[in-house]
Amino acid sequence: MLKALWVSVYVTLGSFVLGSVLGLLVYLGRVSRRRPLRALCVGFIEVFRNTPLLVQLYLIYFGLPEVGINLNPLWSAVLGMTLNNAAYTAEIFRAGIEAVPNGLREAAAALGLRFSQTFRYVVLKPAVRNVLPALTNQFIVLFLFSSVASVISLDELTTLLQDLNQRTLRTLEVFTFGGGLYYLTSATIAWVSRLAERVLFRW
Amino acid sequence: MTSIPSQRQADAPRAMVTVRGLHKRFGHLEVLKGIDTEVNESEVVCVIGPSGSGKSTFLRCLNFLEKFDAGTVTICGHDLTSSSTNLNLVRRDVGMVFQSFNVFPHMKVLDNITLAPMKVSKVPRAEARDRAIALLEKVGLVDKADVYPSKLSGGQQQRVAIARALAMQPKVMLFDEPTSALDPETVGEVLTVMKALAEEGMTMLVVTHEMGFAREVADRVLFMDHGLIIEEGAPADIFDTPKHERTQAFLSKVL
Amino acid sequence: MFDFGQFMPPLLRGAVLTIFLLVTSGILGTLIGLIFGIARSSSIRVVRWVASIYVNFIRGIPILIILLFIYFALPLMFPTVTFSQGVTAIAGLSIYAGAYMAEIFRGSIAAIPRGQSEAAEALGMHYLQKMRYVILPQAMKIAVPPAIGFLIALVKASSLVSVIGYTDLTRAGRIITSQNHLPLNTYVVVAALYFVISYPISLLGRWYERRLT
Repeated sequence: MLKALWVSVYVTLGSFVLGSVLGLLVYLGRVSRRRPLRALCVGFIEVFRNTPLLVQLYLIYFGLPEVGINLNPLWSAVLGMTLNNAAYTAEIFRAGIEAVPNGLREAAAALGLRFSQTFRYVVLKPAVRNVLPALTNQFIVLFLFSSVASVISLDELTTLLQDLNQRTLRTLEVFTFGGGLYYLTSATIAWVSRLAERVLFRW
Repeated sequence: MTSIPSQRQADAPRAMVTVRGLHKRFGHLEVLKGIDTEVNESEVVCVIGPSGSGKSTFLRCLNFLEKFDAGTVTICGHDLTSSSTNLNLVRRDVGMVFQSFNVFPHMKVLDNITLAPMKVSKVPRAEARDRAIALLEKVGLVDKADVYPSKLSGGQQQRVAIARALAMQPKVMLFDEPTSALDPETVGEVLTVMKALAEEGMTMLVVTHEMGFAREVADRVLFMDHGLIIEEGAPADIFDTPKHERTQAFLSKVL
Repeated sequence: MFDFGQFMPPLLRGAVLTIFLLVTSGILGTLIGLIFGIARSSSIRVVRWVASIYVNFIRGIPILIILLFIYFALPLMFPTVTFSQGVTAIAGLSIYAGAYMAEIFRGSIAAIPRGQSEAAEALGMHYLQKMRYVILPQAMKIAVPPAIGFLIALVKASSLVSVIGYTDLTRAGRIITSQNHLPLNTYVVVAALYFVISYPISLLGRWYERRLT
């Protein structure tokens, strides 16, 4: 059971990290001066935000083999969740950076800081502070939706619960316990992130 | 000196508000340390004092927006400490005007004023409307009846709030620093409305920093500091010959 | 190639069922959310506490687990009643939506300045009058953008009812791939249909937010 939970967690972690890096790139593309790149990134964000993860996983796991790309359940899940997460984190980055008051930028410019210096010393820290709560929230959402990977038979927690349910027929116990495990994990993540915020941002 | 309407002299004074031994604490901080006072019918009492002296808390205890820990408050014949008192009935008799106006932003001016009479006192719509129009005339905003409050200046919003409180036909009006949040140029219009109200014989308790208003309109002034009434008396006595040194110190700073 | 003439009708039927699910569970979820959102803002501690257990627990477990639980457990708890997949799906999504909507309403109620509540009380309104005429109308306006955001999440979460056998858009797609063996084409069409349902809602939300400011 704990092993299955661990699969859920590391699939989430892996795709969260990869997805956040990709999300940052997509964000940068979105604010780029090149129009085609901008359109591409906006399209990517809108498509992945407006279609279900389940269908995205079906496309990857069942659809890609049609064009000769065979991924096992694990890599299918990681790929799907990474792309999905990138679309959300790109929007989180945009909102967080736009929320930094323009006055700060102007003050920095008035002090003679260059664009890169302004970003590095003035914009970055408030932006990270704006972004962090939304990112942890997104992490929890991604963790909960990792359960969807059970439909492409990744051996994670929900798959195990369904197996157990079929083998033992103790439905109430199995799903209550499984739900409890999910809840405890997400509550722990939320608690750790609140603690981290308090330590990191004392100002 | 203010001209006192004749009816005030004719009737024997009747206490509208009686406060005995009022105590209130927030956690470890004791903000009211035993307030005793009375307000008679048609009397205008101004409460002055430094910030943090407890004067707003005192006022808010009178309609039980703030619970208190000890003492008794009787207002318009209702005993606030009695468990059988229906608080909502008390509040129909006691109008309140807030520092931050608290007009309802999602309702037009007229609806702000008719809401409570219609829903709380079950006054028919037409009557509530007539009453509201009359009150808007009184506060000089009849042309703003169909406007949302966000389109009004602070002074206009506060006059709407006064009309809204008066629409319940209260017997006592409480004013909690009604002009403190206003731009200087709109303070006068609100004070004018309040002065007219006082001249009509409304019983009023006013927490204020407007010393000019207190001197001109009040029948009696209470000076509060550190949760106690330090000194009270006619405005001329308080402002011209304050007896207590804390009153003197306060007045020398604000006048 | 994907045969539109043959396969579009069942897909569109699935899309209609998905929309039906969204409307019903959206309405039920909003009602549940309203009740629990108000309960979460109550001054009575026990009420607040009970409501927050529901809200926090449901928000801490996957929607798939909720659906599986209801699907397998309801027949065990009520052995004499048969629940259709539709009822299970609507129940699961409504319970799910209720918790998120409750959180949205709680936040919106908390955003109304304290003075509004005091002004209503000072006018003699009792709790229900105060909520009905003063607090909720203002809170609703604040709640609309996040509620629309959640509705988009609900569109996507609704795809999971296919796992318990409800023939929504996703399951219709699965059935078709078992016939035409063209998963790539079929799921692209399915995804496009989801986009057609979801994207207008995003646009609506953006339009409303622009109108607010």
